[in-house]
Amino acid sequence: MSLLNWPIFSMTEFRHIKELIRLKNPTVRLDEWPVRVRGGLQIVCILEGKFEWLIEHQRHVLYPNDVVVLCPWHGYGSPTNTLEIGSLAWLTIEPASFEPSKELFLGEWSAIAEAEQKLMGRLFMTQAPMVLNNFKWVCDLLQRIETEVKQAEFAYQTRVNQLLDELLVTIVRQLSQQQNQRRDFPQAFAQLEQLLRNSLDHPWTVEEMAAVVGLGSTAFTEKVKSFSGFSPLNYLINIRIAEAMKQLRQTAKSLTDIALDTGFYSSQHFSTTFKKLTGYTPGQFRKRGTQ
Amino acid sequence: MDCIVTIDIGTTKVKVSAFDQAANLIGWRQGTYPTFHPQPNYSEQDPEQIFLTVLYALKSLLNDELTKKHKPVALVFGASMHSVLPIDKQGVPLRNAVIWADNRGRDEANALKNSDECRLIYEQTGTPVHPMSPLIKIRWFRTHTPATWFEKVYKFISIKEYIIYQLTGQLVVDQSIASSTGLFNIHTHQWEERALNYAGIQPHQLSELVPIDYSELKLKKEYVRLFRLTSAAKLIIGASDGCFATLGAGVVTEGDATITIGSSGAMRVAGKQVIKDPKQRFFNYLLNEGTYISGGPTNNGGVVFEWFVQQFGASGIHLDLEYTVNQLLIEAERVPAGAGGMLFLPYLLGERAPLWNANARGAYIGVNITHERRHFIRATVEGIIYEMHSIGKLLQQYRSIQNLYINGTYATLPLFAQVLSDVFGKKVYVNDKHDSASAGAALLALTHLGVYPDLEAAAKTIRSVESYQPNPVNHERYARFTEIFDRLSQKLAEDFDALVALQ
Repeated sequence: MSLLNWPIFSMTEFRHIKELIRLKNPTVRLDEWPVRVRGGLQIVCILEGKFEWLIEHQRHVLYPNDVVVLCPWHGYGSPTNTLEIGSLAWLTIEPASFEPSKELFLGEWSAIAEAEQKLMGRLFMTQAPMVLNNFKWVCDLLQRIETEVKQAEFAYQTRVNQLLDELLVTIVRQLSQQQNQRRDFPQAFAQLEQLLRNSLDHPWTVEEMAAVVGLGSTAFTEKVKSFSGFSPLNYLINIRIAEAMKQLRQTAKSLTDIALDTGFYSSQHFSTTFKKLTGYTPGQFRKRGTQ
Repeated sequence: MDCIVTIDIGTTKVKVSAFDQAANLIGWRQGTYPTFHPQPNYSEQDPEQIFLTVLYALKSLLNDELTKKHKPVALVFGASMHSVLPIDKQGVPLRNAVIWADNRGRDEANALKNSDECRLIYEQTGTPVHPMSPLIKIRWFRTHTPATWFEKVYKFISIKEYIIYQLTGQLVVDQSIASSTGLFNIHTHQWEERALNYAGIQPHQLSELVPIDYSELKLKKEYVRLFRLTSAAKLIIGASDGCFATLGAGVVTEGDATITIGSSGAMRVAGKQVIKDPKQRFFNYLLNEGTYISGGPTNNGGVVFEWFVQQFGASGIHLDLEYTVNQLLIEAERVPAGAGGMLFLPYLLGERAPLWNANARGAYIGVNITHERRHFIRATVEGIIYEMHSIGKLLQQYRSIQNLYINGTYATLPLFAQVLSDVFGKKVYVNDKHDSASAGAALLALTHLGVYPDLEAAAKTIRSVESYQPNPVNHERYARFTEIFDRLSQKLAEDFDALVALQ
């Protein structure tokens, strides 16, 4: 019998929880832990022992209280297929929708606002698989979820869903903080910039951008202004127009397509902004380049 | 009252400043842009984003209240050296700009190094053969891109030329920026055939050469409107940021030197003659016809101290580098000169002058059981300055240097300034113009407008506001450290190579 099919509890009350497993492994098991895609949004906690895994082709050595966060399409396992001695616990959430090309929607059970779920999805997409070192809090949360499920006390379904939300929020916050620890703002900003470029067509808000850097939106706006000379939204528009300039002169795409690709909601809005920034309308600019 | 607007297109940001007729700063704006590293040795920037940032900063300064009182009469441009941007016949960039920090041409540079060809090119062009040099970058394009692509390149220009082209429709390059390309003959002031042959291009694939006070540029009418200028406002092409920084520090004749420590660093002198170093360790760039700015650049300036701060600075303080830097410097001030006999080689990023060894690496040496964190902080500061001294020591074989003028974020921090003074044994001055690259640009414009008779007179108006005296006891002690430092930098070369092979 494969270890991988050992759900401890029946999860029929929680369709969105695919697995909740605590695994104590007293002996080295050969051929039980191959690298594979396990599906679902998975959070793995190392509880005891030392594990050497390949996570998306990268070698990691994991120690107790390390937490691994994986998207449904990520693969991991032992490079030698071996499950080492120790114990671990993992939780696999089945989101209603989450694919590399699709935004994250957890499902009706979650109380996290839809926009924040999307942001969470984008963060996971760009930064997962990630290993959060020495993050005991998450391991404790998993334990609490397990206890709730086991004891099935009054309103435990509600409580479990709340704990799931707390778990995800904790991970996202830790993620932006771990990213920024011992780093100066320019580095954090560079990372945000990369994220913005990767999804220029998303209607970014200042709150979303601030969350990526792990700051509140007031402090974030202030920092961005003093560092870059632009307000956060103006900086974003700057990147959008720079990309549009490239597309105008290097492609034959229509103005509307370029506008939508670079995050403007209409070609009118695009034209006004473009003219305000560059002194030319997009059409004039395109002609100028091909004279 | 009239004002001068300077546009300094740097590596991380553009800074647009307004100066009055007496070269006093009256206002400024800035905007940043990123550097991309699509591969480990690559450093690129998006020319359109830089252009937009220039427009944004200019517009925001020129549409400000300030320009109601001060009418802008001239705009003058400074910029980082060594960038390469291939454009097609329509002036459209064929890819991102490759900037000075890009090392993709390492193999090309190594292959040319130590040859007679290399010596001849260096003697004629004044730019050390190194991957930073456009000479090497264009050669790289020639050998690493399909012939069909290379043929599409109408011209290889710099970021500064692109910005000016966007604003005016004219493709011209000032002799100062040109003199840092490795393609320009600093004696005849023409493109150098030998270098062009090596790179694999013809003179018509480069912009037309003009002097730094060239002012025949005409701003497109859309931008005259956007910036709310009058068509009488002049556009002056300007020089490179390095040359402007030297002028803006008040150094245009022999006798003094400038030391800049920002993220990287450089020590520069000015003179009527080039420095002919047989080992090709110094650059000789052109400020204007008749004035050479010579010196050596180091990769390992403030960026090394910032690395230390990020790794070993107090934790728990979020995202506030400046605060942590100051805390650490307070700790370091309590340690006597010499960091208790510990010495630091700062070569975290390999090194340009004076070693020109990309494989050089960092080291703390002489560590004993009594050393504490504060000794490491002090040793890190001192190591960065020992490296500057090793450039200065060689420069002094060619030029006598009386006074040092310092600028850049790190050089002007009190501890750095005092250690500089002690290590060199010279008086160190901090000028009233903090941003000497912009000040230099303003001085050029004011000279062009007739406010000063020449650049020498303009440079004399720069005043020092602070000075540091060398402590003779510390100087003597530091002399023993710099001796060991220079010896170790040479001696460890073989081991640096061996370690790099393992990295």
